[in-house]
Amino acid sequence: MDKVIALWEGSGLYNLELNALIMIAIGFLLLYLAIHKNFEPLLLVPIGFGGILANIPAAGLAYSAVEQMAHVGTVEQLNQLAAVLGVQVENYKQVLDAYYTAPAAVQGAAQELAADLNYANGMMYNFYSIAIGSTVAPLLIFMGVGAMTDFGPLLANPRTLFLGAAAQFGIFATVLGAVGLTSLGIMDFSVAQAAAIGIIGGADGPTAIYVSSVLAPELLGAIAVSAYSYMALVPMIQPPIMKALTTEKERAIEMVQLRHVSKLEKIMFPLVLLVLVALLLPDAAPLLGMFCFGNLMRECGVVDRLSDTAQNALINTVTIFLGLSVGSKLVADKFLSAETLGILSLGIVAFGIGTAAGVLMAKMMNLFSKQKINPLIGSAGVSAVPMAARVSNKVGLESNPHNFLLMHAMGPNVAGVIGSAVAAGVMIKYVSAL
Amino acid sequence: MSQAELINEGLSLMVFGMGFVFIFLTLLVFATGLMSKVVQTIAPEDAAPAPRKAAASITGAADPAADPVLLAVINDAISQHRARRKS
Repeated sequence: MDKVIALWEGSGLYNLELNALIMIAIGFLLLYLAIHKNFEPLLLVPIGFGGILANIPAAGLAYSAVEQMAHVGTVEQLNQLAAVLGVQVENYKQVLDAYYTAPAAVQGAAQELAADLNYANGMMYNFYSIAIGSTVAPLLIFMGVGAMTDFGPLLANPRTLFLGAAAQFGIFATVLGAVGLTSLGIMDFSVAQAAAIGIIGGADGPTAIYVSSVLAPELLGAIAVSAYSYMALVPMIQPPIMKALTTEKERAIEMVQLRHVSKLEKIMFPLVLLVLVALLLPDAAPLLGMFCFGNLMRECGVVDRLSDTAQNALINTVTIFLGLSVGSKLVADKFLSAETLGILSLGIVAFGIGTAAGVLMAKMMNLFSKQKINPLIGSAGVSAVPMAARVSNKVGLESNPHNFLLMHAMGPNVAGVIGSAVAAGVMIKYVSAL
Repeated sequence: MSQAELINEGLSLMVFGMGFVFIFLTLLVFATGLMSKVVQTIAPEDAAPAPRKAAASITGAADPAADPVLLAVINDAISQHRARRKS
């Protein structure tokens, strides 16, 4: 009979808490959105599934050894842990708080204690520390994105880089929004957390994950989920803003055919970009360095095998681990909080402001220049490649059925990728200097 | 950190960050333009292949879409047709 009771007490049903149940439901919701509604399925399927795995009761897949020990250990073991941390505590939450804030040496001692007592890191925790904790996965994805990016439209019309710069305004306006909410007492974000939330406005998944893994790992789950969900919603978020800010006549502007770009120019571009990054902003070097490397492999034409791997097999492999690792951050006690709602609402504001800033910048450039540009391509400055460019094309066709803006919009679109990586570098630099 | 300080940090991050993004991308615009000019003068690529393509069209190119001259003629004809229909 004792065995039966032990089995029952070890079952998921016995250990199920309401929070975990809600998170599992959210995991199923993400799977539904990905599979039925086709919302960024490549990422939301692994993220949703990872979220379910991470919340399986009593399995503790997303916990480190010390967290496992604090959650399921006996009172005696908890006291041992508290002694190592040098604190007097009553429940496991206080132990964990003490553990998170302890210096690295003390944390190491706690980890050794957990290892001695036969506690091991959960599977999802290991995935997270290898893929995202080390920042390897977002950087490899960025290399793959570089290998997939054609800078031809940008090189044919370099002015479109300004549109990519303007659209980053969404990032910084959202940072201001986050600290504003904090000073009003509605939320509680530090500057580092505000910066990580703002980067959602860059509409660039790997950049957002990279920045939040560096600045605010505790918010990574919410930030990644909101970044990828809103990227899937770009075709719904952007058109109303674009139409509100432009006149019918402006939307119908036809742009001149793009010039031919030679192969040598395409090879030189990633090198020029790399030199500029090295000279001006070493903090953006991990992101833009990998991006330039990927693009050079694509354009140089002598390493087609490597380029092919970077943009197909490798990026797919990494995406699996990245998605599962993000899912590991969807564990109930880290995700279910008022902050997550704040992040979701700030994220959509960031997208909207970025779109508006890009369109307004295009209109401003038209005031000063003879060669008119269609303001609709400004909205493509929020990366979200190639979705945002397709939206520009579609809205343009509604006003003028002979107006194909897709190639013109790819310029600001890839400029947005560079812009958000630069913005990420600036924020990391600024926050770590505080 | 006090509330006023926090807002100040947010504001200065916005000004500093946005300023830097613009400076960086402006420099990139100039560097890219310069690079393109240098490449086009040192190793002009457009001049050589164009006549070859034109020659191919005279001998009857298989793919009309690959022929810039024919394409230009077709485009022109289409726009004339449209202009006539509008009036």
